[in-house]
Amino acid sequence: MKKKVLMLLAAGLCAAFLSGCASGDDTENIRLMVWSPSEDQSKDSGEWLQTNCEAFAKEHPEWNITFVYGVADEASAANQVAQDAEASADVFMFANDTLTTMTDANALVKFGGKYREEIESSNSQALLDSLMKDGELYGVPFTTNTWFMYYDKSVFSEEDIKNLDTMLEKGVVSFPFTNSWYLPAFYLGNGCTLFGDGTDESAGVDFGGEKAVEVTKYLILLVQNPNFKIDADGSGLAGLRDGSINAMFSGSWDVNAVKEALGDNMGVASLPTFTLNGEEKQMLAYAGSKAIGVNTNSKNMVAAVELAVYLGSAQAQRSHYELRSTIPCNTELLQEETFQNDPLVTAQNDTFDNTSILQPFVSAMNNCWTPVENMEKGIRNGSVTMENAEEQTQAMNEAMNSTGI
Amino acid sequence: MGAKRKKFIKNSIVHVILAVLAAIWVFPILWVVLTSFRAEKGSYVSTFFPKAFTLDNYIRLFTDTTILNFPKMFMNTLIIAIFSCIIAAFYTLAVSYCLSRLRFKMRKPYMNVAMILGLFPGFMSMIAVYFILKAVGLTEGNLIRVALILCYSGGAGLGFQIAKGFLDTIPTAIDEAALLDGCTRWQIFSKITMPLSKPIIIYTVLTAFMSPWLDFIFARVICRANADQYTIAIGLWRMLEKEYIDSWYTSFAAGAVLVSIPIAILFLCMQKYYVDGVSGAVKG
Repeated sequence: MKKKVLMLLAAGLCAAFLSGCASGDDTENIRLMVWSPSEDQSKDSGEWLQTNCEAFAKEHPEWNITFVYGVADEASAANQVAQDAEASADVFMFANDTLTTMTDANALVKFGGKYREEIESSNSQALLDSLMKDGELYGVPFTTNTWFMYYDKSVFSEEDIKNLDTMLEKGVVSFPFTNSWYLPAFYLGNGCTLFGDGTDESAGVDFGGEKAVEVTKYLILLVQNPNFKIDADGSGLAGLRDGSINAMFSGSWDVNAVKEALGDNMGVASLPTFTLNGEEKQMLAYAGSKAIGVNTNSKNMVAAVELAVYLGSAQAQRSHYELRSTIPCNTELLQEETFQNDPLVTAQNDTFDNTSILQPFVSAMNNCWTPVENMEKGIRNGSVTMENAEEQTQAMNEAMNSTGI
Repeated sequence: MGAKRKKFIKNSIVHVILAVLAAIWVFPILWVVLTSFRAEKGSYVSTFFPKAFTLDNYIRLFTDTTILNFPKMFMNTLIIAIFSCIIAAFYTLAVSYCLSRLRFKMRKPYMNVAMILGLFPGFMSMIAVYFILKAVGLTEGNLIRVALILCYSGGAGLGFQIAKGFLDTIPTAIDEAALLDGCTRWQIFSKITMPLSKPIIIYTVLTAFMSPWLDFIFARVICRANADQYTIAIGLWRMLEKEYIDSWYTSFAAGAVLVSIPIAILFLCMQKYYVDGVSGAVKG
C-alpha cells in the first residue's frame, strides 16, 4: 500500500515536471504590475498606458506578459512604494522631488549600461540631474514639472510680459503668493540659494542678508499694489473667467481651464523679471521632472527596466502628448515642428531651461516650506512691515536652516 | 406683569442668540448644498449664492466614471459599511452583555485594559495592521473589502461602555426569572435582553455604520493603488487634488451631499430611539 502511494507521488511529480517543461517552449510567463495616474488609463483619454504596454509586449515575443494596472499619481506613488516596496508596482511614475523617499527605502533601481546610455542620449543634462543622486541615475524622465505664466494677449503685449512691474501697470496680475512652491521665485531671483547648487545639504540655505531683505520689502509693496491679487483657492482661475484678472501663474495642469476662459487670447510664457531698486531681476521657479521608476523588488527585472525605458521613449512621449497633452522632454522629439509651434511646450521648456532652478530634493529641503509660508502669510496679513522686514527675513532664514520643529 | 415682561425679554434674547448660533452652524452645510448645484465652474467664487443652478454636478458623478468612478466607490463603501455595521454591532452588544451580566475572573482587568487601549487613536497601528493583513493575503483585489471590514469591526469589542451602561439598567431579576424557567444565556440575550434594548441597539448600529462610512485613513493605507476598491472618502479627497480641483470641485460638493444622505436617512428614522439610547434607561 505504502509503495503504491509513493509510486503515485513520484509519477505525479514527474508529470508536473514534464508539463512544466513543455509549457515553457521559448516564451517566459511574467507578470508586471504598472502604476500610473488614472487619466493615463482612462478610456476618455485614449488608454495611453494600456496601449503602450501592449505595444511593448508585441515587441518582446520572448515574454508572455500579464499586465496588472494600478492607480498612483506621480506625487503620491513614492509614499505607497516606501510604505511597502515588496507589494508595490514593478514600474511606476514618480515626481523627482520624491526621489529620496524611495532611495531611502531602497526601492528604486539604478539605471546602468546600455539603458543609461539610451536615456542620457535623449535628454538634456538638466533633466538628468533632476534624477541623479550620488552619480547614479534613478529614473526615465518623461516630462518636466514646473510652473509658468498664463496671460491675456489682449491686455499685455509681448514686450509687457518681460517685466512683472510693467505688467502691473497695464493689468491685474494674480500670483499664488501664499504657496511656498511659488514665492521663493523672487528670493532666488535676487541671488538667494538653497543648499549650494541644490545638492549640497551641508551648504545650507542662504535666504538671509541684505539681498533677501530687499526682496521682502519688494514683496510688501507688491501686495499693496491694487493691481496685484493673491491667488488662493482657485481665485486666479475664477478671475480669468470673469475678466477681473489678466495674468496668473500655474502649470500645465490648468491649461484646459485657462484655454476655456481666455480662448484665442490665451498667452503662455516663461517667468518675467521684476524690478528691484532699479535693476531687473529674473524670477526663478522651482523645476523638477516626472519619471518612470523601477522597483528593486521586481521579480522580472529585465522586463521591468525595458518597459520603463519604453514608456519614456520618444514614441511613448509622442502618444502621451497627443492623448493627454503631457509635454514631452525627449530632445529629438522637441526639435519637431509640432512641438516647436506649441506655445505651452515652449513656455514650459523655456521655463525649465532658463527661468528655473532645479528644486533641491535633499531631505533638509523639507524644512524650507513652512518658514516661507509663514513669511508669505505675515506679509499678506501686514504683520511683516518695512520696519521689521530685516528681522523677519532673518528669522525665516534661521528657521529654514534649522531641523524643523 | 413685571415678571412676565422680564421673562419675555429674557426669552427673546435667548432665542435671538440661539437663532444666530443655529445660522452659523447651518451656514457651511447650506454652502456645500448650494455649491453642489452651482453652474459656474472652478473652486473659487466671489458670491455666496450661485449665479446659475444646475443638476449637472450630480449627473457627472454618475456618468463621468473613467477617471473617478463614483458609483463604484459608493457601492464599495456601502457594502463595507453594511457588513462592518452588522458585525461590529453584534460584537459590541455581546461584549457589553457579558460584562454587564456575567461575572468572571478577567472582567475587571478586561474593562481596564479596554479603557486604556481606547485612549490611543486607532490609526496609530495602521502600518502594523496593513502588514498583518498583507501577511494573511488580504491586500489584493476584492479581498481588500474583507480587510477593511475586519479593520472596522475588529475593534468594536472595546467600545462597550455606553451599551454596558444601558444594559446595567435592565433589572437582573428578569434574567433570573428566565434562568429559572430554563433559558440558556444565549436565549436570555436574544429573547429577553435584546428586545428590551432597542434604543441602545439603534445607537450602536448608527455609530457602527458611520465610522466605516466616513473613514479615510485606513481605507487609504489599505487600498493603496487599487483604484477599483476605493471608498468614497478617498474619491472625494482625490477630487481636491491640484489636477482635478478646478473641474471637479462642484461635483465634490455634490458627492459630499450624497454621502450625507444615507446617514441622514438612518438618523431621521431612528432619531426617537437614539435619544433614549444615549440617555440610557428602561422604564418599568
